[in-house]
Amino acid sequence: MPNMREIRERIGSIQQILKITNAMYLMSSSKLKKARKSLECTEPYFYKLQSTIESVLEHTPHTRQLYFDRRADIPEDKRKKGYIVITADKGLCGSYNHNILKYTDKKLDEAADLDNCYLFVMGQVGRMYYQRRINSNKKASVDGEFLYTTQNPTLYRASEVAELVLDKFEKRELDEVYLIYTDMINSNLQEPKTLRLLPFERKHFGKAADGTMKKLPKASFMPSPEEVMNYLIPQYAKGIIYGAMVEAFCCEQQSRMTAMDAATTSAKDMIKDLSLLYNRARQAAITQEITEVCGGAQSINE
Amino acid sequence: MAKTFHLEIIATDRLFFSGEVEHLVITAIDGLLGIMAGHEPLVTCLPTGELKYLVNGEWKYAAISEGFIQVMPDSSIILADTCELPEEIDIKRAQEARERAEERMRQKQSIKEYYETQAALNRAMNRLKISQKHFK
Repeated sequence: MPNMREIRERIGSIQQILKITNAMYLMSSSKLKKARKSLECTEPYFYKLQSTIESVLEHTPHTRQLYFDRRADIPEDKRKKGYIVITADKGLCGSYNHNILKYTDKKLDEAADLDNCYLFVMGQVGRMYYQRRINSNKKASVDGEFLYTTQNPTLYRASEVAELVLDKFEKRELDEVYLIYTDMINSNLQEPKTLRLLPFERKHFGKAADGTMKKLPKASFMPSPEEVMNYLIPQYAKGIIYGAMVEAFCCEQQSRMTAMDAATTSAKDMIKDLSLLYNRARQAAITQEITEVCGGAQSINE
Repeated sequence: MAKTFHLEIIATDRLFFSGEVEHLVITAIDGLLGIMAGHEPLVTCLPTGELKYLVNGEWKYAAISEGFIQVMPDSSIILADTCELPEEIDIKRAQEARERAEERMRQKQSIKEYYETQAALNRAMNRLKISQKHFK
């Protein structure tokens, strides 16, 4: 039988942790509410952006456009691939980080040559993970200057990221850019997802989720199609990155909430079990004491 | 009443406006552009600037930053980074942003930084101008 003091201390420490997990649960649920709201607010913009670009593209004359350059002159396995990976800044959110990192690893394994892979990791956890990997010689270079947090996504941050990758693409430092983030399918189901950002493809602009698409009869572009495209594509990239950031942030809060809820419940269960054990130990001690007293009294009488 | 067309203005953080309008005036890259019902299909980009539209005989104004417009004969869609009514503009914030940008303009910067600062200054000035013009 474990002794009573030990059990009491254990219960005390679990109670402390319970307070923490419960507080984290409350915090993440309020953050989730905020994130959900911003997700709802931005969704119409993205659907419209996608469907508009789609219909615009249909009518763009075939111009040699910078961002549509497929890099056909470079063999498939020599193309420099960039990955923007969105992870969390902190742990304690269930399998959220684990899933996205495993998924990225799989993607990297599929890539032909790791020397041609460049990672742009958002969020502390992912950055630490890949920096540790460089040290252990499984290399895929991580951009050390790419320091962005995933807390409270803003359009400004998204535009900085978009500018950075578009710039690298223009300078031919990158030939393909992918965006890896966690997609929220419903509140219980999340899935890591890849989206190809660059080079743009015409079919890439799928039908918007709400199905709205208006056929545009031959449109004119002001001042010129190239000019408009040069302006639209960065705008679109920015939009997509922002959307992914909001989505991922929402997922992170959701999984943290679930994880902390589970932790709180299991802490409560543990306390229940331990207090039972404690009471048993207490009773055993009392019984033992009584037996000892009785034994003592009897021996005096004899 | 004049013929109307459907206008939708969508900012990244909300649906700013959706409804029938008679006339829309936007600032395009190379100047003001007026759009009425039955306009030819057109796509153009919008820099930071002013926007006005006529609803039921009344002009409404808004400050817009960076976006594009798709015009069709019976409807138009504007997608923009931000869009605000004159009375929504936070003058203090815009003033602070302007001072910050002006301060940065005085320092040595790379070309990229220079453009960024210039864009920030533009946005702040635009907000201040529109709120002063239409909201007293």
